[in-house]
This record gives sequence, structure tokens and C-alpha cells, in this order.
Amino acid sequence: MEIVFGSASRQMLYSWASLHLHRQLFLMAPKSHRIRQLADSTMQGAVKKPRSIATESAPTSSSMKDSFSRYAEYLNQFNDKRERVVKASRDITINSKKVIFQVHRISKNNKDEVLQKAEKDLSAVKDQYIARLVNELQGTDFWKLRRAYSPGVQEYVEAATLCKFCTSGTLLNLEEINSLLLPLSDPSLEPLQINILDYILGLADLTGELMRLAIGRISDGEIEYAEKICRFVREIYRELTLLAPKMDESWDMKSKMDVMLQSVMKIENACFSVHVRGSEYTSLSGMEEDTSYALLGVSEFD
Amino acid sequence: MMKSASRTALILATALSHRSLNPNPSTPFFLRNASATVSLPLISYTTTVTRRPSSCNNFCTSMAAGDSSPTSAAVEKQFDKFRFSLEESGNLRDRIKAVATEIDSTTRIMHSILLLVHQSRPIPEVLEKVNSHVDKLKQLFSKLAEIVGESPGQYYRYHGDWRSETQQVVSLLAFTHWLETGSLLIHTEMEQKLELNSEFCLDVEDYLTGICFMSNELPRYVVNQVTAGDYDCPRKVLKFLTDLHASFRMLNLRNDFLRKKFDGMKYDLRKVEEVYYDVKIRGLGSKGVAEGDQSVQES
Repeated sequence: MEIVFGSASRQMLYSWASLHLHRQLFLMAPKSHRIRQLADSTMQGAVKKPRSIATESAPTSSSMKDSFSRYAEYLNQFNDKRERVVKASRDITINSKKVIFQVHRISKNNKDEVLQKAEKDLSAVKDQYIARLVNELQGTDFWKLRRAYSPGVQEYVEAATLCKFCTSGTLLNLEEINSLLLPLSDPSLEPLQINILDYILGLADLTGELMRLAIGRISDGEIEYAEKICRFVREIYRELTLLAPKMDESWDMKSKMDVMLQSVMKIENACFSVHVRGSEYTSLSGMEEDTSYALLGVSEFD
Repeated sequence: MMKSASRTALILATALSHRSLNPNPSTPFFLRNASATVSLPLISYTTTVTRRPSSCNNFCTSMAAGDSSPTSAAVEKQFDKFRFSLEESGNLRDRIKAVATEIDSTTRIMHSILLLVHQSRPIPEVLEKVNSHVDKLKQLFSKLAEIVGESPGQYYRYHGDWRSETQQVVSLLAFTHWLETGSLLIHTEMEQKLELNSEFCLDVEDYLTGICFMSNELPRYVVNQVTAGDYDCPRKVLKFLTDLHASFRMLNLRNDFLRKKFDGMKYDLRKVEEVYYDVKIRGLGSKGVAEGDQSVQES
């Protein structure tokens, strides 16, 4: 095969190659021209610069350089600060998440123990990681760098309010959180105080965690607890519907509200079905709070 | 035993949440279906039904109790405060936006006047007209500073509302200043020109973005000046833009808008280089060739 078609195919290959080469040359030509042109002009620039130093227009260009070196310094410092704040925020997020997971380890019999550990971890997050954020911010740029630290702060709000709800059944107020944060700041500087927006965004996320908690409580048989969660979450949702359109970034909040409604409905539906199926539930658990239905159920199941 | 019952409840809950998303739910069918899947005897189903009113009652009363609890009142109080505060900041924002719109329309007027330089109108005349609007800008910025000053320390909360307008102002004033003096209006000079202070300053990144916008104007200016017969213009602009580009390269920028604008600046530079090259190679303004060379060396 090779021998038979060898010469023909080689010829074809040659012609193709030469054609290709031609085309490449054609393509190259303007490009190299362009490159030379660019090189020329940059060379001109390079040649021009040393000359310009010696002459009268030098002050203007050097004053431009001077002011730009100031801008460069400012930007470097600020961007470094932003990076450090982002890192601090990320650490707050990770460790607040751990606290939230700790709360979810709750079960019927170990409540106090689990919550004690969660609270301990939470205050460690505050003393270690939020303190670092405070330190990086140095009492300035609270609003300018808000985007950099907002995720961490939101997560912390979520963890703190979740802990508080589990221990006392109440909502941890912004003022209460902020009074806890006050001691972290150097008294000579403006203290880091969580702003309303981050607090509200954190609360919106709290609903998702409470939904998980409620479902967990139901499968553990703690219906009362789940209902308490349900009432609490509904209340928060209701209050936030009024605030959502007034937030600074209402688009962000809007999507959170949708997720929140989903969570609220999940809890409500879970509570609903437990109520509706209450008869089987009581009969199976053997508690006879409602004798007639329980009896009916028992008789059917036995 | 108890666990399995509550699991059933859970399964139902998931099924129910599906149902609630269904636009055309058929409840009776669902209930029948559900009781079938968990193989409940019919009598249990009926008890559920008979029980429902009482359970609903229970639920409602417990809800009512929740609403009147002291916790709920405290929650409400906090959220009322939030609402008040957010309404206030919303009003502030609206007022800021109103001033920003005014700044924008003033800038547009100035820009349209400045565009006359492309139609080879005498520059001093154009500049005089443009500068007559600077006082208006000063007024608007002091108004803005006053509004923003109402909530101290929150400059950057509202910053986005006047950002792009300010960048346009910077671009315009820098271009005007360049036409006047051939040099760059630096950041502090810009703040002085607008009579800003440390309370209400000009953000450095906004300033730099504005300068990038100004650089976008230069290629067109050069082209039109050459067409109008000013063959020395490309040399001046090229020198200025080369310096400016070199200065910008000293900055470590993040991957943001400013970086993108700066990346665009090299195309302005190339365009001006091309014009300079075209003019020079053809020996246009022939008396200027030798002189021009001389002056390149001089400057």
C-alpha cells in the first residue's frame, strides 16, 4: 500500500505543505509588520523617556509618577487589608458552622450537655476569630469592607441566635450581640458593631437551620419543641416580610425570603402531618393522652 | 415503635410539601393514596377526619398564645426599630439618588459642550463654557456631602449611588484640565476643584477610573485635531498618554472594573501611536518634521 500510493501521497503532502506555508507567510506578514510597528513605538517611548528627564517638562511627568506612587501605596495597603479581612471572615464562617453542627447533635437526653458545648464554642469563635476581624479592621472601613466580612458576620449571627433559641426559646437581639462584641474592640477605636443588614441576613439563614432542627425534633418525638420552633420561625418570617424590600440589597434578601418561606412551610407541613396523624402516633407510642382515639387506634392495630 | 410512627409523619410531611407546591392539588385523592401507602385501616382514616377540628383548635389556640407571649412583643419591638431605621436610610438613599441624577445631567451638558473640541471650535471658548458649569457641580457635591453627612461614617454604605456619576465628573474635569495645561489633574487637585473635604472625599479608585475614561477620549481628539490640521497634537497626546500609562502600570490592581478600564487604556495608546506614526511618516506639516523631531527630543 505504502509503496503503491507512496509517491502520489507524498506529492500531495508536499503541495499541501507548500500551500500551508504560503498561507502562513501571508498571515504572518501583516502581523510581523504590526509587531515591528509596536516595537518601534515602544522603543521610541523607551528612548524618549531618559531624554525627557533632563528637560523642562520633566516636573509634570515626575509629579504624575509621584502621585501615582502614592495611589499605589494606598491601593496596596487597602487591598492587603481587604484580603486579611476576607480571611478572618472565612474563619468566622467555618467555626460558626461548627457551632451550628454542634447544636444539631442535640437529642432528647443530652440537651444541656450539647448546648453547653455549643455555647462554649460560640464564645471561642467570638474571642478568637471575631476578635481577629476587629483587629484587622482597626476601627475603620466598616462599610467600605462590608462585603469582605459580611458572610462571616452573618454566619456568626446565625450560630449565636440558634444557640440562644435552643437555650432560652427567645430571639437574641442585635443589641445583645453587639454588647457582647464591645469588649473585643480597643476602647480608643470605633468598635465593630454588627449592622442591621447583616443581622437580618443572618436571621434569614437561621430559618433554614431551625427547619432542620424541627424535623430532627419531630423524628425524635419532641413534637412540642417542633411546634415551638414553628411559631418562632413564622414570627421571624412575618417580621422580615416587612423589612425585605427596605434592605440595601433587596434582590439578595428577596431570594433569601423565598428560601425562608420554603423552610417555614416544611416545618408547618411536618407539624401538620403529626397533628393529623396524631391518633396513630399516640397509639403507637403507648401514651394515652386522648383515650378514645388511642383506643380506636390500638384496637385496629392489634 | 414511636420512631417509626414519626418517620411516617415525616414521609407525609415531605409528600405534603410537594403537594403545597402543586398548583392543582387534589386533596381527597392524596389522602386516600397516602393512607393506602402506609396501609392504614379505613377506620383510622375516619378518626383522623373526626379528630381534625379539635386538633385545629388546639393549633390555633397555641398560636394565639405564642403571639401574646412577652418574647413575641420583644421581637416585634426590635423589628419595629429596624423598620424605622431602614426607612430612614431608604429616604436618605432616595435623596442621594436625586442629587446624583442632577450631577449626571450637569455632567451631560458639560460633556456635550466639550464635544465641540472635536469640531475644531477654538479651545479657549469651549473651555470657558465648560468651566462655567463647574460651580454648579461644586454646589451639587456639597449638597451630596451634606446629605451623606447626616449618617456619619456611612459614606461607603451609599457610595454606589454616586459612584459612576463621580467617575464621569472626574473624566470631564481631567480632560478639561489637560486641554488647559497639558498636565494631569491629580487626585488632591481634583478634590480641591470640587471643594471636597476629608468628610466627603473622592475615592481614589473612582478617581483612577475617571482618568481611564478620560484616556478613552484622547484617540478621537487626536484624529480630529490632525484632520483639522494640528499636526503637533499627536506628539503631545502620545507623550501624555505614555506617561499616564506608565504611571498606571505602577498600580497593583485587583481583578475589578478599574483593572478592566486600565486594560482598555493600551488600545487608546496604540491608536494615538498609529496616528503619530501616520503623520510623521508622511512628513505632514513638513516644516514640523525637523522641528517636531527637535521638540520630541526636547520634551
